[in-house]
Amino acid sequence: MNNQKDDFVIEMLNITKVFPGIKANDNITLQLRRGEIHALLGENGAGKSTLMSVLFGMYQPEEGVIKKNGEVVRINNPNDATKLNIGMVHQHFKLVEVFTVLENIILGAETTKMGFLQKQEARKKVEALIERYGLKVDLDAKVEDITVGMQQRTEILKMLYRDNEILIFDEPTAVLTPQEIDELMEIMRGFKREGKSILFITHKLNEIMAVADRVSVLRKGKYIGTVDVADTNKQELSNMMVGRPVQLQVVKEPAKPGQVVLDVQNLTIPSRLHHNNAVKNVSFQARAGEILCIAGIDGNGQSELVYGLTGLERPSSGKVLVGGDDITRASIHKRQAYLSHIPEDRHKHGLVLDFTLEQNMVLQRFREKQFEKAGFIRKAAVRSYAEKLIEKYDVRSGQGPVTMARSMSGGNQQKAIIAREIDRDKQLIVAVQPTRGLDVGAIEYIHSELVRERDEGKAILLVSLELDEVMSLSDRILVLYEGEIVGEFDPKQTTVQELGLYMAGAKRMDPSQMSVFKQEERKETKNEQ
Amino acid sequence: MNNKLSLLYRKDGTQKFLSSLIAILLGMVFGSILIAIVGLNDSDIGGKGVFDGIKLVFLGLFSTGMKDGSLTFGFNPSLFGDMLFRATPLIMTGLSVAVSQKTGLFNIGAPGQYLMGTTVSLMIALSIPASSVPPVVIWLLAFLGGILAGALWGAIPGLLKAFLNINEVLACIMTNWISAILTTWLFDVSRFSVFRGPATSAMGDPIVLNGSFKNLIESTKSAYVYMTNYNNVATAKLGLDKLFPGSQVNGGILVAILLAVVVYIVINKTTFGYQLKACGANRHAARYAGIQDKRNIVFSMAIAGGLAGAGASLYWLSGNTEFAWQTYQSLPAVGFNGIPVALLAINNPIGVIFSGVFMAMLNIIGTRLKALTAYNEYITDVIIAAIVYLSAFALVIRMWLGGRKKKKEAAPKPAEPAPVQPAAEKPVETSDPAVSEEQKGGAQA
Repeated sequence: MNNQKDDFVIEMLNITKVFPGIKANDNITLQLRRGEIHALLGENGAGKSTLMSVLFGMYQPEEGVIKKNGEVVRINNPNDATKLNIGMVHQHFKLVEVFTVLENIILGAETTKMGFLQKQEARKKVEALIERYGLKVDLDAKVEDITVGMQQRTEILKMLYRDNEILIFDEPTAVLTPQEIDELMEIMRGFKREGKSILFITHKLNEIMAVADRVSVLRKGKYIGTVDVADTNKQELSNMMVGRPVQLQVVKEPAKPGQVVLDVQNLTIPSRLHHNNAVKNVSFQARAGEILCIAGIDGNGQSELVYGLTGLERPSSGKVLVGGDDITRASIHKRQAYLSHIPEDRHKHGLVLDFTLEQNMVLQRFREKQFEKAGFIRKAAVRSYAEKLIEKYDVRSGQGPVTMARSMSGGNQQKAIIAREIDRDKQLIVAVQPTRGLDVGAIEYIHSELVRERDEGKAILLVSLELDEVMSLSDRILVLYEGEIVGEFDPKQTTVQELGLYMAGAKRMDPSQMSVFKQEERKETKNEQ
Repeated sequence: MNNKLSLLYRKDGTQKFLSSLIAILLGMVFGSILIAIVGLNDSDIGGKGVFDGIKLVFLGLFSTGMKDGSLTFGFNPSLFGDMLFRATPLIMTGLSVAVSQKTGLFNIGAPGQYLMGTTVSLMIALSIPASSVPPVVIWLLAFLGGILAGALWGAIPGLLKAFLNINEVLACIMTNWISAILTTWLFDVSRFSVFRGPATSAMGDPIVLNGSFKNLIESTKSAYVYMTNYNNVATAKLGLDKLFPGSQVNGGILVAILLAVVVYIVINKTTFGYQLKACGANRHAARYAGIQDKRNIVFSMAIAGGLAGAGASLYWLSGNTEFAWQTYQSLPAVGFNGIPVALLAINNPIGVIFSGVFMAMLNIIGTRLKALTAYNEYITDVIIAAIVYLSAFALVIRMWLGGRKKKKEAAPKPAEPAPVQPAAEKPVETSDPAVSEEQKGGAQA
């Protein structure tokens, strides 16, 4: 056994993959040591997924070779990859929704006897794996009924069931809650101890610092370099990834809250998923010139709260006031005079993907006089308005205003939505996970836009699942747990750990400590006078 | 010049047009092969018959007859006129399907809407006496009645979809059969009495229409409803009969073309059309934007129904088309044929005019085959069927045509709602070429 450092289990040497019009991978070399966690870092579109698809046999590279244990191998399709014990957890899970977890795990690698499934044998093997790696799943639950985290563990079990030694994780944390991310990290460390080699594709620096041994950086299809995580820091990595110094911290002045813009009183909203109310008797206020953040683990009523404010869902009781006007029962169309809404899901709510960019830019405003004349759309006015927004907010697309929204990159789709919503210039901006799934450059831009709007006197209600974002962007934090506000914090005087305790429901603030309730009392005393 | 051509080729519209054209050509080639196989296995037809048959498939519209045992070709105005007449209802049902598709709905209810339009416009046209109301007014009332009946029939699945989220395809199939039964029942039980007026009948006698809508005068035709010209109601010819002498053509084709243009303008130029399309492309985003999605779904289906109903009115009000009703009413094929008409036109209302005319031409070719060769006209139904399959294939052909271009420029993303999107500044993404690669693979396979 020679130097352990040069014991590469997989080597991808000088890989070049060309798609018509673009070099997705340009002479990239990636060497994975046995038993290491190797992160592959790059912005969206840097070529990470293409490189992994080459390794997994979905693409054939124009140039370069792949070696396993020092020997050149040809991987023509995913089956070849499986034979070489390479397994992959895809970003979008490839599970059969109506099958049970066990059925999904054995799918394609079933043990049969005379054509009959031998589920008991498979179950024993899977249960042993669950035991060994601490992967909590319910083998008999249907995939459609389990959480995203559990679906991911199902995908991981699929790889283990096939005795894979090289595990590829493609952006595994994008869909997970902070707790699930921690669990995943622990699982990955467990694999490392067992001698498995892991390729971990991500653009999240925290996760790399937490779990990876080495990291290779790609940028625009080119190989930038490989560094030991121990010898680097987040700032250096993000500079390598983006190609210029990046502002990781949000720069902002202390907030100067003005008058109350959004006043939510005893709002209760039913849930579509279960019989309990999703939002229970919630009251709070957001002021002009502040970024108020609703923090919490996904599924604790944030979405429903936003739907209640924006009109997508009807509250069963309570009131919503914006600028003093009661809009609790107003139609979505009427509410648009009061608030801008950057929706959680940009593909479901934010954009009509099969419309052009300019059509999307006037999604709410097409009825306005400047864009409509006698029932006809003023196409020239729409075009020039779209061009103005594209220029002002630097929305990049292939063909400008007539680009199909579908063909734009995620970051620019989000920029288009933000341009549209900010330009509507309303006193309240409801921004739900405005940076979800975006790369560092785009996040930096969106944060600075939101801060600028705040400084111009808008009230901003930010709903975010990312604690980093919550801590760096907000001026005040409310924690939502099971549909109730359980704590109010000043981001300068609290820690992520403390917020985590409230988010998980382990702690709960006395209502008298929270200004949201004090204000209510004040109002009642006013009434008595 | 070359540059211009390649620009034209790369335009989306050109590609759509080419893909439909290729589907049609392949369909006709398939039909020719079929004709050859049938002919060579049939001792009555033989080699020359096969040759004639194939000639007719491609040139049937220009057939002028047969002289000394060989086919003659030239401009045949009566065939052209008949083609335009038969195209009228096809254009309307094609529009009906196309409009609903723009809103993301599949209107398979055109046959039922067409049938309701038929029933109501025939009843109005026959039961208001021409002696007391000018026939033009009766015609207009019957036309509007047909539109309204179709619109109402289309609105039912629309309402079910919007408010109860019932799949419109299922609701449409049910309303189709309800309309069939309703038509049978209405013509059976309704009674009317109209003095036919001063003009004479086909047999030259003055007539009093009485009792049932069933044609009691020509006793051999007991299952037929009176033709509307028994009440002097007939679509104006507008000089088209002079252009195409000896044919059934009338002003209806002009109305159909006009309506297609109107639909095109409404869909593409108005805020109403914008809302319809937004609801169709993404109902959630439309709702988010404050567009009333439910109302638009109902509107879309009602308009689709109205167009199918208008098609029925234009066909049956021509004056000399006879409606055969049965105790077990079948669904009119022209309603279903709206689907391939819209498919071939890729839901473009202007394109529907041409695809409707084309389908009518195939119909005419069928009659020529029957008249001039030993083939029967049903062979053209097979050709139509082949083209329907291939027009569904038109999408694949389009991808194949656009494949090279799409890979260079922005390719469409997979439709799945992805929380995380690849790619940064450039619209070309690493994962995208894969998509067009797959599509291309599909096209070749």
